[in-house]
Amino acid sequence: MSGTPARVLRSLGRAQGVVVAVLVFAGLMLLNALLSPFPLSYFDISFLSSGGATTAIAAAGQTLVILSGGFDLSAGAVVSLVNAVLASSMSPTDMDAPVVLWTAIGIGIGAAVGAVNGFFVAVLRLQPIVVTLAVMFIVQGITLLILDTPGGFVAPSLGAVFLGDAVPGLLPAPVALIGVLILLWLWLKRTSFGVTLYAIGSDVESARATGLRVRAVTFLTYMLAGGLYGLAGVFVSAQTGSGDPLVGNALLLPTFAAVVIGGTRLGGGKGGIVGTIFGAYILMIVVNLLLSLNVSAYFSTIAESAVLLLAVLAGSLSRSSTLSLRLRDLSDSLRARRAGRLVGQRARQDRRLAFTRPAERIDAPGILQSHGHTLRYALPSYACLALVLIVTQLLLGNVFDGWRYWDSLLVLSCFLIVLALGQGAVILTGGLDLSLPWTIALSGMLLTGLVAGQDSGLWTAVPLVLAVAALIGLTNGLGVVALGLSPIVVTLAMNGILQGAALLWSGGTPAGFAPPSLRWLMTGEIAGVTPIIFVMVAFVAAAILLLGRTAFGRRIYAVGNSEMAARLSGVRTGRVIVSVYILSALCAALVGILLAGFSGQASLGMGDDYLLPSIAVVVVGGALITGGRGHFAGMVGGALLLTAMQTLLAGTALPFAFRSVFFGLVILAAVIALRE
Amino acid sequence: MKNAFLAGSVCAAALVAGAAMAQDEPYDIYLSMSYIGNDWQAEAQNMVRALAESSDYADRVNLRIQVAGPNAQRQIQQINAMVQAGADAIVVYPISPTALNTVVKSACDRGVTIIAYDGEITEPCAYNVTIDQTEAGRVTAEWLAEELGGEGDIVVITGVPGTSVDTARTAAAMEVFEGHEGINVVGEAVGMWSQAVARTELSRLMATRDWSDIDGLWMQVGCYTANAMQIEAGIAPEDVLPCAGEGSNGGRIQMLPADTAVEGGAMPYAPMGAPRISYASPPYSGALALKLAVDILDGAEVPKLTTLPLPIVTSETIQLCETGSWEEQRDGCNAFQPSLVANPGWFASIFSEELPQLGLNAALVGQAEN
Repeated sequence: MSGTPARVLRSLGRAQGVVVAVLVFAGLMLLNALLSPFPLSYFDISFLSSGGATTAIAAAGQTLVILSGGFDLSAGAVVSLVNAVLASSMSPTDMDAPVVLWTAIGIGIGAAVGAVNGFFVAVLRLQPIVVTLAVMFIVQGITLLILDTPGGFVAPSLGAVFLGDAVPGLLPAPVALIGVLILLWLWLKRTSFGVTLYAIGSDVESARATGLRVRAVTFLTYMLAGGLYGLAGVFVSAQTGSGDPLVGNALLLPTFAAVVIGGTRLGGGKGGIVGTIFGAYILMIVVNLLLSLNVSAYFSTIAESAVLLLAVLAGSLSRSSTLSLRLRDLSDSLRARRAGRLVGQRARQDRRLAFTRPAERIDAPGILQSHGHTLRYALPSYACLALVLIVTQLLLGNVFDGWRYWDSLLVLSCFLIVLALGQGAVILTGGLDLSLPWTIALSGMLLTGLVAGQDSGLWTAVPLVLAVAALIGLTNGLGVVALGLSPIVVTLAMNGILQGAALLWSGGTPAGFAPPSLRWLMTGEIAGVTPIIFVMVAFVAAAILLLGRTAFGRRIYAVGNSEMAARLSGVRTGRVIVSVYILSALCAALVGILLAGFSGQASLGMGDDYLLPSIAVVVVGGALITGGRGHFAGMVGGALLLTAMQTLLAGTALPFAFRSVFFGLVILAAVIALRE
Repeated sequence: MKNAFLAGSVCAAALVAGAAMAQDEPYDIYLSMSYIGNDWQAEAQNMVRALAESSDYADRVNLRIQVAGPNAQRQIQQINAMVQAGADAIVVYPISPTALNTVVKSACDRGVTIIAYDGEITEPCAYNVTIDQTEAGRVTAEWLAEELGGEGDIVVITGVPGTSVDTARTAAAMEVFEGHEGINVVGEAVGMWSQAVARTELSRLMATRDWSDIDGLWMQVGCYTANAMQIEAGIAPEDVLPCAGEGSNGGRIQMLPADTAVEGGAMPYAPMGAPRISYASPPYSGALALKLAVDILDGAEVPKLTTLPLPIVTSETIQLCETGSWEEQRDGCNAFQPSLVANPGWFASIFSEELPQLGLNAALVGQAEN
């Protein structure tokens, strides 16, 4: 292990993320101990260790998937499923149920779901984020079929083993369990499986070209991750002694936060489970700190976001990090400007070399030739849409014999269509915007609060709301470009900050309501057509032109295909990336305004239901989650498809559980149709 | 109980000294909320805060409010941290009725009083303050069945699937509807207890049918929105469908006779004589839980389960408040001027016989009556 000091330093540098996570954790523990009036007892340690264990175990699974370059949205749903299965099938009279058997059952269920994910991702090569999104809906539905309300029974024997003491008075069982996981991981990392996992995450094409077993390892990764979610589900069951069909769903975002705090790179190839586990415990200890410091309720999401940002930032600081690169760039260009050597300072004159000449003209390509690629990815969503429409007509009628259905469909889709432009542009550059929910809510609340129900107020309120949104987008963009943080971290933290801001601004009760003209736009009519539909037609046309025909649009695709290549071709990639986040925030603000008009007022949680659909719409519409591919027309098709599907399901008397399953199946079908 | 004993002896000492104070140090009481990103939670928080700051309680209670978010794991951790920090009592809005049992048990074992509001904690040592959700579902469904004369096609909008409150209410209502041969549930959607979601879901339901195809609605939240949508669809205010649903102020104002004069508000946030039954999980339950926690710490006998009176308001009992003071509400008013309550989705069931400290301002801005 030991070597020259340089080698030790190098390996420490490589493990910077983990080291920082451990240091932050230790610092927070110390701070907590200092603030607490009582010394930390064994009991407290035991309780702390069990409190964070579920998140830690689930996040460990998530780490594997992220290391392979994937993304698993089904993690929380699997935890709920295992909890529901255990709680509903254990016999209430059997106090000493066999722990090993039930643990194996839990892990097995998780691994089975993981195998489904793995099959679609590894064998059919579908995009992980949509596959796991669809599986998440399906699993949530199945969970509700098994257990439709909190209840059931989990034998105390499980709790005794998982929450008891491995060594009484010295080693709590959760710590031992996590220790075993870490040891297994350290072993796994050194096997050929582990090496292949990192290779796939670093560069899947090279890994394949080198002859590594990419497909088998990816499949196994998802299965292993599923098994870990299953174990987390068993742990929750042991901890709570009963079942709750929703218990795991809220774990999804914390697992991502834990992974990134632990120093694992989103996109794969770098990081590991040890850091993640500390990341998970940092998230839990923050709860205690907020209590000790008596941070008020409205500030809690802001404080948590700050911890997330600082921890990730600290983990990424180094001479080669983006932040220091940017600072160096800045000082270089300042120096160049002072010396008069900056490119922009040179006289503007044609410097083309004399022997260059215009390129030879080639024949204009045929329509199919130039648009075939777009059609290939945009059409499936429309094909699925047609199918859903036909089924709706057969089951419910009123689709093809009147305008009413179409009017509702278009009005309800308009929110997703607008979001698809912003989220779509961000995804085209290879990013992701998770700050949509509270950008929507804050914008809606600002608008209704400022206009106080008067049309005349719109003239000042709308520009102001859009300006605030632009500022939000700018901050997101700068966080990504200047600080070099992962878009997921920046926008997740922004979402928390905005939630706090919205609560502080409204005092918990959003004031005012939408002015009459805005309500008319969303619910009135011009010759039987809701006015917003005309606006949407113009919006879609403008958006297609923006992404497809302008220099800005071309640059977005260029950045998404290869940021490096785009930069070397003279695209100011930083500006492009910042602009797409601004565009996304503006679109979210527009949705906030439209939703306020639609509902007549704003409410705090009004944006919550739009985050996952906004991503689903973009991907179902044919975009590649890693960026560079996708057409807005396809995304519009995706928005219409999702809305038509929800309309169909709402019209039937099917229980919610089945609807969730169907919804997942349709998303899955749509992405299978997109398969290369 | 140690605390009861302490309180008793302090009380005796105080009597000797002739002071009115029953304790020399305020109780440390913690509030663990779940998610605060919706109107109901924010309102409940305002009322708890108002009670703690009212002159009756300001010197007696040291209240600290913390938020756990939607994640049960965090609430478990939070409650334990509160116990460690030396809480005398913990008031909880439970994220899950079952997931907290173990931590609540261990808190009880360490002598901490745990009292839950709105949702229930099934661990026997915890105190619960709630309404009878089954009763709520049954009474409202029966009202609707009666209003329709036992015949008609209805639409049902439920709450958050997988929660015990939603399951209890919906199951009870469905049982009533099944008992009436003539009542058919023609559409069912998930409303998530939000006016905004109710609007989206109703728009979807109405995409394939006409308002004239249905005869009534049973919704957990959304009657205000349903009435607004009918007005938009050109239906006259006197013809809106009977709706059994939530206790939002917008819905209450709509229930007032059409000729009632109100300050502020505009159609559809206006009186229209809508046929309604309005009920809600009252947002004052958190404040009441705080009061009971103090009572318990004082040594009073408090039953483990406090079932709040079901705040039912029908078109017959609806009455407009002028200022919204506690006295005025005690005299029977139950809807607030739109000029005072700008948000029609705001929950209006804020009156409790036992909490004279809390009027309209407590729920709106967290300010007690005294």
